[in-house]
Amino acid sequence: MFPTEHLLILGAFLFSLGLLVIITKRNTIMVLMGIELMLNASNLNLVAFNLFNPGSVDGQMFVLFVIIVAVSEAAVGLAIVLQVYQYFRTSVTDSINEISE
Amino acid sequence: MQQYLISFLIFSPLVAAFVALLLPAKHVSSFRYLTLLTNVIQILVLILMLLSYDNSKAIQFVEQQPWITLNLGTWGILKATYFVGLDGLSLPLIVLSVFILCIATISSWTVNQNVKGYFILLLILNASILGSFTALDFLLFYLFFEFMLLPMFFLIAIWGGPRREYASIKFFLYTLLGSIFILIVMIGLYISVHDPNASGVLVHTFNLLYMTEPSNFISNTILDPNNPWMIGPYNGRLWAFLLLFVGFAIKLPMVPLHTWLPDAHVEASTPISVILAALLLKIGGYGLARIALPVFPEAALYFGWLVGLMGVISIIYGALNAMSSKDLKRLIAYSSVSHMGFVLLGLASLTTEGVTGSVYQMFSHGIISAMLFLIAGVLYDRTQDRMINTYSGLSLKMKSFTTMVLIAFFASLGLPGFSGFIAEILVFLGAFRSNSATGILPESFAIIATLGLILGAAYYLWTLQRMFFGPFNVKGHISEDQIFDLNTRELCMLVPLAAATLGFGIFPQPLLAIIDPFAKYLTEFVLTTGKNLTLNL
Amino acid sequence: MPLVSFLLSFVISEKYSWIVSFTAPFLLLLGALCAAFVFFYLPADQHYLREVLWFKVSDHAISGGLFVNNLSGTMLLVVNFISFLVHVYSVGYMAGDSSIRRYFAMLGLFTFAMLVIVLADNLLLLFVGWELVGFSSYMLIGHWKEKPQAATAAKKAFIFNRIGDAGFLVGLMILWALHGSFNINDWSSPHAPTPWQTAASLCIFCGVIGKSAQFPLLSWLPDAMEGPTPVSALIHAATMVAAGVYLVIRIFNLFTPASLDIVAIVGTTTASIGALAALGQNDIKRILAYSTISQLGFMVTALGTGRPDAALLHLFTHAFFKAGLFLAAGSIIQSLHQAQQQAHTHFDVQDIRNLGGLRKKLPMVFLVFIISGSSLAGLPLFSGFLSKDAILTGIVSWAGGSVSWKWFLAAILVGVSFITVMYTFRMIWTIFFGDEKRTDGLSIIESPIVMKAPIIVLALCSLWIIISWNPFMHTRWTSPGLEHHWGVTTFSIIWVVAAFGVAYILRDKSFQARILQKGFYLDQYYQAITTNIGLKMTQLTAWIDRDCIDGLIHATAYAQVLIAHVTGWIDRALVDGTVNGLVSFVRGVGTVTRSFQDGKIQLYIFWSVFTIIIFLIWAML
Repeated sequence: MFPTEHLLILGAFLFSLGLLVIITKRNTIMVLMGIELMLNASNLNLVAFNLFNPGSVDGQMFVLFVIIVAVSEAAVGLAIVLQVYQYFRTSVTDSINEISE
Repeated sequence: MQQYLISFLIFSPLVAAFVALLLPAKHVSSFRYLTLLTNVIQILVLILMLLSYDNSKAIQFVEQQPWITLNLGTWGILKATYFVGLDGLSLPLIVLSVFILCIATISSWTVNQNVKGYFILLLILNASILGSFTALDFLLFYLFFEFMLLPMFFLIAIWGGPRREYASIKFFLYTLLGSIFILIVMIGLYISVHDPNASGVLVHTFNLLYMTEPSNFISNTILDPNNPWMIGPYNGRLWAFLLLFVGFAIKLPMVPLHTWLPDAHVEASTPISVILAALLLKIGGYGLARIALPVFPEAALYFGWLVGLMGVISIIYGALNAMSSKDLKRLIAYSSVSHMGFVLLGLASLTTEGVTGSVYQMFSHGIISAMLFLIAGVLYDRTQDRMINTYSGLSLKMKSFTTMVLIAFFASLGLPGFSGFIAEILVFLGAFRSNSATGILPESFAIIATLGLILGAAYYLWTLQRMFFGPFNVKGHISEDQIFDLNTRELCMLVPLAAATLGFGIFPQPLLAIIDPFAKYLTEFVLTTGKNLTLNL
Repeated sequence: MPLVSFLLSFVISEKYSWIVSFTAPFLLLLGALCAAFVFFYLPADQHYLREVLWFKVSDHAISGGLFVNNLSGTMLLVVNFISFLVHVYSVGYMAGDSSIRRYFAMLGLFTFAMLVIVLADNLLLLFVGWELVGFSSYMLIGHWKEKPQAATAAKKAFIFNRIGDAGFLVGLMILWALHGSFNINDWSSPHAPTPWQTAASLCIFCGVIGKSAQFPLLSWLPDAMEGPTPVSALIHAATMVAAGVYLVIRIFNLFTPASLDIVAIVGTTTASIGALAALGQNDIKRILAYSTISQLGFMVTALGTGRPDAALLHLFTHAFFKAGLFLAAGSIIQSLHQAQQQAHTHFDVQDIRNLGGLRKKLPMVFLVFIISGSSLAGLPLFSGFLSKDAILTGIVSWAGGSVSWKWFLAAILVGVSFITVMYTFRMIWTIFFGDEKRTDGLSIIESPIVMKAPIIVLALCSLWIIISWNPFMHTRWTSPGLEHHWGVTTFSIIWVVAAFGVAYILRDKSFQARILQKGFYLDQYYQAITTNIGLKMTQLTAWIDRDCIDGLIHATAYAQVLIAHVTGWIDRALVDGTVNGLVSFVRGVGTVTRSFQDGKIQLYIFWSVFTIIIFLIWAML
């Protein structure tokens, strides 16, 4: 067994990575990827924290639930991105801009 | 149902104006017919009202609705109501207004420039005139009074003659100055008068009927009759009367506050001149009789001689100026100044004859001046020239026109058989009796004023001689075929007016029966209340 | 007695039934018959009154009432009868005139208004008629509108009347203030001579001065001769100008002794001015006009001497003979005009110097002139003698036994009657005797029967028989109580005959003094007064208006504009400066903050994360 701290650090690293992707990447698909990374980071955290309470499987159940939600969200998100791509002929967020100018 | 008739009269033109706003501007004639329809409806409503009017009662067709009620805490409650009604003073003027406005609409048929705007403004003007003649709440009156200026300003400034901007601004500034004076007094009255029916709380009211009752004044306010404060030589109430007098005298107009009138008349188009002379001037006299005299009766007694003197000066001065005018419209405008002097003289006399004559004069002058301005308009439509010495011998070319001119001129110079005669003789009788009856005006005022009659005859006959008699001739760029006789539309306007002035001259009793109770009430009220208040001082 | 109102309505409707002008004389005939009926069937010393409410002010009702007694009955007859004759005459005289409809309409209106004066039972109604006759007279004098002189004369007549009317109005005011009523019958007994009463009567007399062309307002009457001749006969000789006299008779009780004296002086002055001026005129109609003025002066003097009955008698006789003279003169004028048109010559047919020897060519007119002229001159056997005699008797008894200024007036009046004979003689002599002058060679035809008949009737009425069986004494109905003085009668017979003789001797002399011709320069005085004072006044007021009042207003306007410019500068420099500074500051801040929200989601996220991190760091510390 390796210590829980490693798992938590890995989760934090993954979360930060996802955030960085969301902020820096211009392409919507990449942003979705970033969100996916952040979700998985939180999954990792949930599993890690479950270690403190060995008798239950609550953490694992949450993780399963989150994965399902993430899948459906990714499906919806990709569908929207496809529609946006068809409409604007691009999937770069900055050029999809109807409010200003 | 009866109580809403006045509101119907006032608001039907507003509704029509709103409808006109929605109509597309290119249907030019629809605006004309819409306005005419409104006028016809108003006439019908008016006839309905006349049928049920009762000479013996004071104020009738009263409608009172809450309008503004503001609780100002320790300042009391501000209360203005929508309060309208008719009595012997306003009914003749309402009758006059409704008919003259109808004639003005017919006369506006030839307006071709921006027809939509013109008729909308005309309708708004219509509503505000009727409103100010019926309002019995000072704030409401003031609202309508001010509301009238705006359409009038635009009607002169857009559809006027070559110097229209100058004339309209002069008109606007003059009347605005008068309004400011009235506003000052209104605020003073608002502070000083409370509603006697409100128990416990202090209710400041604008109700004109409450304002006439000296007991309704809050003690130690600026306009309280028992207040010993003096501002210069007079107390607040005398000053307030003077301010109101000046405010309304500008509208009347009185010499020396009259110079806006000739300019406005010369520049305004015919229907606007008609409305201006026949109706707007009357608001000055109406305001004096409705507000200034009954609210400040002791000041009316105190300054009666001043009002009468200004009346006499206006009579003579206006007539002299009319004689020196070279422009037909200017001549008529100055004759209005002269005739409105009679209104002042009659009101100042505070005798029943005088006040009755004053109101009768307002009515009769409304008819006659409308006729005179229509006549000037007829000539202007044909030739674009109103100078008297351009023409001579017109009677040979324009027979029925000359007949109308004769009727109008002789009616205006007070020939018996026309309404002006009845009015003037009553004013004279009242003014002369004033010294023995009320002690306000010396006899000499009435005697000097008769000079106005001679001068009136002189300038009208001189004009007749120069323009209509002698061999036919026109000067300048006018060709002879521009001179032709009246058409049907013009006859439609002039003949009813001629008939009216004749009718009210031969059978004055129906109208006098309406005015007389009011005049009697007003003079008695002003004399008794005024004397009591003077004693208090 | 509903006939009276019937009569009135008839005349009114006549005014509108102008479709055929020939109905007018017919209606007037009916009117005259009614009047005669009223007159002869009205029992003496009774009166008929019929009132309707006209209008009511406070508690004073003013009625429109008809009142007929002996006096107004007489006037009623005179007015209707002469008006009828003039209507008949006009049919001939005005034939072919383009605006004959208006002519007859106005004639009808005039008759109506005159009847209002005659029948009115209160002064206000009388005043209405008074002004209306002025108006119809204006229209009729100016009937030939295209003639500038006619228009001027009409205007002058109306304005002169108007001046008198203003005085009348003041009188009405005084009476109203004194009595609160205008009813003439309320004043059936003489009033106490208070100053106000004197003032009232004198003011009303002002109206009489204007209407009856008394001094100083007399010069309109000769000018009024520009109108058609029948109009001159009806209005300016027989009826309207006599209305003033009638008015004074009607309200005689209002006059105080003091005012009567003034009336007498005015009357005498007028009589002498009129007679002298008549002597100097050459225009036939102007002679008659001045003679009318002079005769009116006689009547007014009679009033002033307290003899309204004598005045009425003279009014009555004068109406007939003067109308006769005018109509005859009109007939001469028309005959000569027609003759001129045939002969294509042109001269002024009204100038008596151009005429002469017409007695053979116009025998009928000559006869009429002789009869009516003698009556005017006051020859015995003619009606004028009787009435003038009555006036002279009156003034003699008024002047009393002692010598005073009253005798002076009497002497003047006697002198005037002398001059009357002279100018009448001169006029007739020049026209009808002597050699034919400019009319020589013209073929002159007498007027048609419609014109002749009225003239003859009027001439017959100028005989003594119409008022009295006795040619030297008036005994009949018009003046039962008139005193008679044989001495005066004898004297006047001698006097008139003497005057006749003098006139014959002086027949070829002409009286061409300019002062007489110009009617004592009254017109020039008025002209000077109106131009100097009136026009100056109008110019003054115009100047005040334009330069003073408007100048003041423009000055204030400019001042306002100036102030507006100053405040405008303050606005721009200070207030706007501050505001603009504020605005640019705010804008700067705005630009900064705006950059945070430009629609880029990732930036939002960046900033929120950034903030959270800052917050976390802060929280940890």
